[in-house]
Amino acid sequence: MADADSILIIGAGQSGAVAAAALRDLGHEGPITLVGRETHAPYERPPLSKAVLQAADAHAQTAVHPEGFYEARRIALLTGAEAVRLDPAGHLVHLAGGRQLHYRRCLLATGGRARELPNLPRGTPGVHYIRTLDDAAALRAGLTPDARVAVIGGGFLGLEVASTARGLGARVTVLESAARLLERVLPPALSDWLAERARHAGVTLRLDARIARCAWQPLPDDAVRHRARFTIELHDATVIDADVVVVAIGLSPEVSLAADAGLALDPVNGGIAIDADCRSSDPDIYAAGDCASQHRRHLNMALRLESWQNANEQARAAAAAMLGQPAPGEPYPWFWTDQFGCNVQMLGLPQPGLAYTCRGIPQSEADAPKFIWLGHRDGVPVHAIAINAGGDLRQLRVLFEQGLRIDPQHYADETVALKPLVKACQQLAAATP
Amino acid sequence: MNWIRIASTDQLTDDDEVIPVAAGEKQLALYRSEGEFFASDNVCTHAYALLSDGYLEDGCIECPLHQARFDIRTGEAKCAPATSGIRVYPVKVEGQDIYADVQG
Repeated sequence: MADADSILIIGAGQSGAVAAAALRDLGHEGPITLVGRETHAPYERPPLSKAVLQAADAHAQTAVHPEGFYEARRIALLTGAEAVRLDPAGHLVHLAGGRQLHYRRCLLATGGRARELPNLPRGTPGVHYIRTLDDAAALRAGLTPDARVAVIGGGFLGLEVASTARGLGARVTVLESAARLLERVLPPALSDWLAERARHAGVTLRLDARIARCAWQPLPDDAVRHRARFTIELHDATVIDADVVVVAIGLSPEVSLAADAGLALDPVNGGIAIDADCRSSDPDIYAAGDCASQHRRHLNMALRLESWQNANEQARAAAAAMLGQPAPGEPYPWFWTDQFGCNVQMLGLPQPGLAYTCRGIPQSEADAPKFIWLGHRDGVPVHAIAINAGGDLRQLRVLFEQGLRIDPQHYADETVALKPLVKACQQLAAATP
Repeated sequence: MNWIRIASTDQLTDDDEVIPVAAGEKQLALYRSEGEFFASDNVCTHAYALLSDGYLEDGCIECPLHQARFDIRTGEAKCAPATSGIRVYPVKVEGQDIYADVQG
């Protein structure tokens, strides 16, 4: 039998690694086992589409914890180990190869996998999906300055890959099936701005792009599997030739262990349904990160958030709850992406009926344009998109957290300094009964 | 010690302000917290960003790019994504003048 207080974490990504550290920080003395399918120690995924694509040695900078951390904190890290079955009644996880691990409490931090295009599955020569360090290394090998790169999917990942590939000198075409970029998270004017920015960087952007046919041939020298010869035909008869195809059409939560074990899944987003303590429908099994669906106070609905912040925060909340300690409060959703010379940060999520006010000038051709679009309801901010203005966005965060009103005209006036303006909003709220 | 004048006290009139300053060849961030002054390298260890564009609160500077936090007294990295600290420098105030020792 397992120790009475052993904790087993399935999934050695951001969330799993942070949860393991948090358990020790919070005073857990019992065994902690962290099981990961990949052969690498836990690493951060945001750089995979950026720094890791640019330089062969960048992966050294991406570790979640420094070398020697797991030994020092007595965390048993099992890499290259795949959990194949979860047995809630037996408090047992079966690994491929027959090994069994008992647990008192289990955390599922299984993340997700890249959604695949049926006619360009993983393994097709020249076709790249970006989820792991190995995926990024394979794509890097194909991104030479003469490469013609077709990126299928103009979401955050696709745009970041396009930006990096363009920076390396490749000729890049992005195919997006929607009529505008990031339509679920950006107001239309900002989608248009981002499209201009991408085009200014030299990316060919095809919106409303539907792929009619995609043919490929391996290169004569099959030693290079990073490339092939692609001919992509769109419904409007446009033909795109490419050497490298990157498919970035979203993520499916990895929930097969949970589903097979009979844990409740969210019917809409498919994530493992968890409560405010990150507990699943089984009282001894928790979930965190990309695979988990949790009710969000700010939006009053269950959501699966694929973000670095959420992976960290749910990991800390789950660790606290597993030890019977109070969980930290729900943070305001925050997300960043780096592309086309811009650090884009988003606070909150879009909601119907918001008015947007811009502070700063949204030039698309400036070296480092700086502005913030603030989405508000009667002046109370609930969504913001900051371009190269993370410091200013941080000043505004207290308004979001406390639901305070800001005068949109004052906010838009760049001659009014933001810090005193935010202070005045706080003072006004404190003075108003 | 090799003190270089980097700023005057009237450049930071309030607590929790941070400005970029030069000390010889070095780019520093100069902070004011609880009436005291502190200095560190101005570039975040996680990604190329200027900490002087960041957010200073409770003695910690938060990077404007990815919200890594550093203790301005010790330089220690307080939260992910940064895992290594920033270098901090001794600071002294004489009258209106703020000095840093960047040799140490």
